[in-house]
Amino acid sequence: MTDQTAAIPALAPLRKGRGTVDWGEVILNGYLLLFFAWMFLPLILMVLAAFNANPTPSATEWQGFTLEWFARLPQDERFMQGLAHSLIIAAGVIATAIPMGLAGALILSRMQSRANTFLYTLLVSPVLTPGIVLGATTMIFWRDLFGVQAGLFTTIMAQAAFIAAYCMLMFMARLQRQDRVLEEAALDLGASPFFAFRRVTLPFLMPTVLTAAFIAFLQSIENYNTTFFAIGGSWTLVTEIGSRMRFGLSPMINAIGVIFIAITVIVAVTHTLVIRKRK
Amino acid sequence: MDGLYRSFGRPLTFGLFVTVALWLFGLILLPQLSMIQRAFQVEDRGGVSAQLSVEIEKLYVRQFEIDQQLRAIEQPAAAQPTAPSPFAPSVGGAPAAPSPNDPFAGLSAGKAPAADPVETEKKRQALIAERADVVARIGELEARESGPAAVDLRYSLENFTSMTAVHFQIFIATLFYALCVTVLAFLVCYPVAYAVAMAGTPDRAALLLLALVIPYAINELLRIFAWVMILERQGLINSVLDWLGIIDFAAGEGFRFVASNGAVFAVMVYAYVLFMVFPIYNTVETLDRNQIEAARDLGASTWRIHTRIVIPHAKPGIAVGAIMTFMLSAGSIAVPEIVGRGMHPDWFSQVIYRRFFEADSWNEGAAYSLSLLAACMVFILAVMAVFKVGIRDIAR
Repeated sequence: MTDQTAAIPALAPLRKGRGTVDWGEVILNGYLLLFFAWMFLPLILMVLAAFNANPTPSATEWQGFTLEWFARLPQDERFMQGLAHSLIIAAGVIATAIPMGLAGALILSRMQSRANTFLYTLLVSPVLTPGIVLGATTMIFWRDLFGVQAGLFTTIMAQAAFIAAYCMLMFMARLQRQDRVLEEAALDLGASPFFAFRRVTLPFLMPTVLTAAFIAFLQSIENYNTTFFAIGGSWTLVTEIGSRMRFGLSPMINAIGVIFIAITVIVAVTHTLVIRKRK
Repeated sequence: MDGLYRSFGRPLTFGLFVTVALWLFGLILLPQLSMIQRAFQVEDRGGVSAQLSVEIEKLYVRQFEIDQQLRAIEQPAAAQPTAPSPFAPSVGGAPAAPSPNDPFAGLSAGKAPAADPVETEKKRQALIAERADVVARIGELEARESGPAAVDLRYSLENFTSMTAVHFQIFIATLFYALCVTVLAFLVCYPVAYAVAMAGTPDRAALLLLALVIPYAINELLRIFAWVMILERQGLINSVLDWLGIIDFAAGEGFRFVASNGAVFAVMVYAYVLFMVFPIYNTVETLDRNQIEAARDLGASTWRIHTRIVIPHAKPGIAVGAIMTFMLSAGSIAVPEIVGRGMHPDWFSQVIYRRFFEADSWNEGAAYSLSLLAACMVFILAVMAVFKVGIRDIAR
């Protein structure tokens, strides 16, 4: 407290004078630069190593440019099989999480009840639960009650539990912005509630359905912690990458990394440009 | 309820409730309950089960003896009639020859020419009857052994209390490290979130945000992998640890300890730091900048502006960021598995994994998972209390 009061006279004049250098700003910018260097440098090194002929991934011991590691990917059966598993799981998760999230959002935004917050807490709880716990509970539940061994199905169930919550939050945000007048008008003009829902509310939610499906897809493909427990003897692309990393480094992982990064950058840049255009 | 019926009609409302119930019970509550049930359940296979297996073992021995005796009786008898049968097809292709695949066909054929027919037959019948009895008894006992009756199921706290000192230490250490990661992530992130939120022009803000979104969206494993490369190959590990040494493991812990856990710790901060940036950014962005200007004009120091205006406004964001970072790092299995390579002291998530998949002790695994979950819940409640935010502010 005491050094705060001491700092006031020293800093205040700096701020007041428009012409002088704003050292606070300079420090902050320098810090930002450091931060982003810290974020991006490791990734850049990883990308470089993907094109290095050196069979142990390295960005410094350069042994010539090569695309070999990319060419090897389609021939690797476990990677390809894992990719197929990942896509199956993602499709299953989208098919499960979107209706659940939508139903949860519709009920929570229209139900005036004391149970509302309680239900909300329960439905959102998987987001706040460690991934490995979700995976473990799902694995135990399906084996103990139905004798279903851990595999693709249990992974879908485990992932859907928390991805549905993300979807629900997105739908709730959209529903908050809904102008209820149209729906009321449809109901007043004699439309059945189901008809009004199908022709008014659902079209309004449609863009969010697409966004939520996309987010659910990404979340599912990228998930490691939950999948690691729920997948049992099977594997997905990401768990396969994980187990390869544990048993030694290979530039093929760098090659996959480059593909992931390229997709991420393209999607993120497109998204930003689209948003800017709309504004 | 009325609002729901009015909006959606009864059938649709019903459908919505069924869907939510499936989610709530099928994916969230019942799995949790089955984990909790296992966590408090002790399977004692000691008493009853051991007796059963001894008995079954004895019966198998008896069955073997009977088989031996039967063979001794049948061998001389069966040798005569069955001897020609293998040749039968080659000789005359006799269709009536007993099939070699059917042992009983051979037996019945061997009865007639036996040396001492009456005595042997009596003994043989007795043995066959006893054998059938033994087989039936084995089946019955084996069913009991695998059935629930043999396992002495008890509910107790044993799975928790039997946690060894080493595991408990790992548990506490994991929580401590997760807490450190959270605090460090906040210190690193707050200026970044503030700078991005207060960016001068919209273009600059969009660019900075993009620069945050890209690493955020890149798979956790790949970002960890990038660091594994650095730590392993480039020898940057020393400088990184130097940099870390200031913050966490000061002198006294020894270099070896730093070399192992420090790496896991550093990568964890890197991997989860962005989960702190976005929630804080989201809240700081809504702050009215005039408040800062006003405070500045009234002579408030930078420190004071942050502690009295920006941070109080960003409380919900900080709470969310802290919860996410803590939860992710306490439950992280990717970082310790990949960076640690088994050469550093375990992370609690790895202990849980081994309980399930290597020790094959699901009950203990469930108890350990439940402990982790409970620790996270305590942390969430503590954060909510300290920052005075509700659940609605947290999950948005």
